Amino acid sequence: MNLKTTGKATTVVALAAALALTGCTKKNDTTTPDAGGTASGAPAGAPKKIAFVPKLQGIPYFEAMNTGGQAAAKALGIQWLYQGPTTADAAAQAQIVRSYIQQKVDTIIVAPNDPNSMAPVLQQAKDAGIKVLTSDTDAPTSVRQAFVSQASTDGIGTGLTDALAKAMGSKGTYAIVSCGETAQNLNSWIAVQKKVTADKYKDMTIVDTVYAGEDQGKATQMATDLMNAHPDLTGLVGECTSSAPGVAQAVKDAGKIGKVFTVGLGTPKSMAPYLTDGSSSASILWDVQNLGYLTAWAGLQAAENKDLQATNNVNAQMSAVTYDSASKVLLLGPPLVITKDNVSQFNY
Amino acid sequence: MSTDVSTPSSAPTPEPAEPSATKVARRILPSPVTGQEWVLVAIVVALWIVLSIATPAFGSASSWQPLLSSVAPIALMGVGMTMIIITGGIDVSVGGALMVAGVTTAKLLVDQGVSLPVAVVAAAVLGLVLGLVNGFLIAYGRVHAIIITFGTANLFQFVGRQIFASQTVNGIPGTLDFFGRGEAGRTLGLPHSFVLTLLVAVGAWIWLRHNRSGRHLYAIGGDPTAARLAGIQVQRLTLMTYAATGLLVGIAAVFTVASGTSTLDQTIGSGRELAVIAAVVIGGTSITGGRGSVLGTVLGALLVQIVASGVTQLGWPSQLSDFFVGVAIAIAVGADLIRQRARQQR
Repeated sequence: MNLKTTGKATTVVALAAALALTGCTKKNDTTTPDAGGTASGAPAGAPKKIAFVPKLQGIPYFEAMNTGGQAAAKALGIQWLYQGPTTADAAAQAQIVRSYIQQKVDTIIVAPNDPNSMAPVLQQAKDAGIKVLTSDTDAPTSVRQAFVSQASTDGIGTGLTDALAKAMGSKGTYAIVSCGETAQNLNSWIAVQKKVTADKYKDMTIVDTVYAGEDQGKATQMATDLMNAHPDLTGLVGECTSSAPGVAQAVKDAGKIGKVFTVGLGTPKSMAPYLTDGSSSASILWDVQNLGYLTAWAGLQAAENKDLQATNNVNAQMSAVTYDSASKVLLLGPPLVITKDNVSQFNY
Repeated sequence: MSTDVSTPSSAPTPEPAEPSATKVARRILPSPVTGQEWVLVAIVVALWIVLSIATPAFGSASSWQPLLSSVAPIALMGVGMTMIIITGGIDVSVGGALMVAGVTTAKLLVDQGVSLPVAVVAAAVLGLVLGLVNGFLIAYGRVHAIIITFGTANLFQFVGRQIFASQTVNGIPGTLDFFGRGEAGRTLGLPHSFVLTLLVAVGAWIWLRHNRSGRHLYAIGGDPTAARLAGIQVQRLTLMTYAATGLLVGIAAVFTVASGTSTLDQTIGSGRELAVIAAVVIGGTSITGGRGSVLGTVLGALLVQIVASGVTQLGWPSQLSDFFVGVAIAIAVGADLIRQRARQQR
């Protein structure tokens, strides 16, 4: 018991320190450009309540988004609310959205677990006079007035393929270790990867695509099996945050660093050891904290009935965020390529 | 219930009954290896040969070494689960317990920089404590095991998430490489984790077969009331099976962290209870209690991983491995039912 409490206390302290640290960095980074933003937002009186409902609370990805949102709240003078279900459960998530409707927040932003079942709830929110946005994951058929997108499908798919091609010398065979078999975003990235490989890299072929679920151990074992099944395999892609370190671990365990190259969508901290030892060549992701910041900013624009421009100056780091009025997509920007050279810059 | 109350008064009877009980036990002792185990050995060998021919490298060390490492945690937890299921119980909280023990171990490694023995002992003790929680509630609470462990499963997951504190555990050092998937995790080509699992399984097999209290587990599973009337310490043995399982889950957590990546996330343990129960059932242990073998469970866990790896190495769609495991469970349960009917007709 003692053991557990100590462990937990340490974590809490570490977490608090991490949060404080990020908060500070973020604030310092953004103070100058925000001064103007706050000034123009200030006359509105009481701070706008911007609520974000992630797919799942308590995973590093959404916690990093929350950190960005909190930084935006400080900089923009809004009230940032953040709550999500403890499991990726659509019904529990809808319940949280309903409670925000009752609290009469100004804007609700959702990363829906199930876009279809979320649509009617978002309609209720709109009927109650609340502005509705989606972020991270879209609900295209809903009444959301804009979608804050982390990166375009083309951007991710091309980024992964280019990074792998660079490592493999634009030739050889590779395989993809994906996660959920029905995950629409992963499948759309894979479709782009297949197309880019066929069009741009004639000497590269994809031999197999397997699905490991959100299970690191299974992803590792499947990557091992793929290397055995295809002795000439020189590349592996880990399509999500659990399989990206998984495939790298498999290469490392098999002693094939430098023979089999891997890329993936992994969070910087989880990929750092593998990027350093060379079992992973690059990780393609986006700046998750910036996505959180942008989400909060977009929420404020909606709450103040400000239209999004074709190009938006959000802050010093995001000075030209594009908005496509036809698809109503606010795009964070091109994906981030994380390598051994820049991995230490990120704290999530 | 009134029969239960009368039990203490009949408790002194075992003393005179003891010698005859051992004699009877010896007479009715089943053959060392059951039919189901031979069938499993045959299937495993057949699959191994077929896959070695059909794929370029299934039979090679680079394939079977990591495969055995993957089997180890499931098989090890399966040894405990087999004992529980033999007594007519079940433990659906092993996934949650694995999460708690795993994240605690990972945190000890990262934050405290503990050594391998300390990590193993800490994980085992923590697992034992969680197992004791289950065991006490089930043995003395007299609520069905599935209800209790379903409750503790949620509780353990909550505790596990609290320890994770919304973060992954990053930068896990290579302290546990002795039990990992790499070169450091093997001696003479054999993964240490699998060898240890086999030793535990053989020990449990001998105990279940040749030790009086081991045989008592079967009696409890066959008819708990009769077992109690016969003077078997049902509650103590029940408590022991859950505690032993908890301890093995703790060691399995070490294996899982050792063979995992340098990052541990909240998905650890998720769904493992079903994988373990599947291995036990495929291994020929009757889900209704009273019959079963830990060797069958190890073979069951091995079979499931061979199928999964085989499907990937053959380039078949991933979901087929779930299908084959489902078929194997159906066949195993069917075979158990047929055996049960045959016994009743005798």
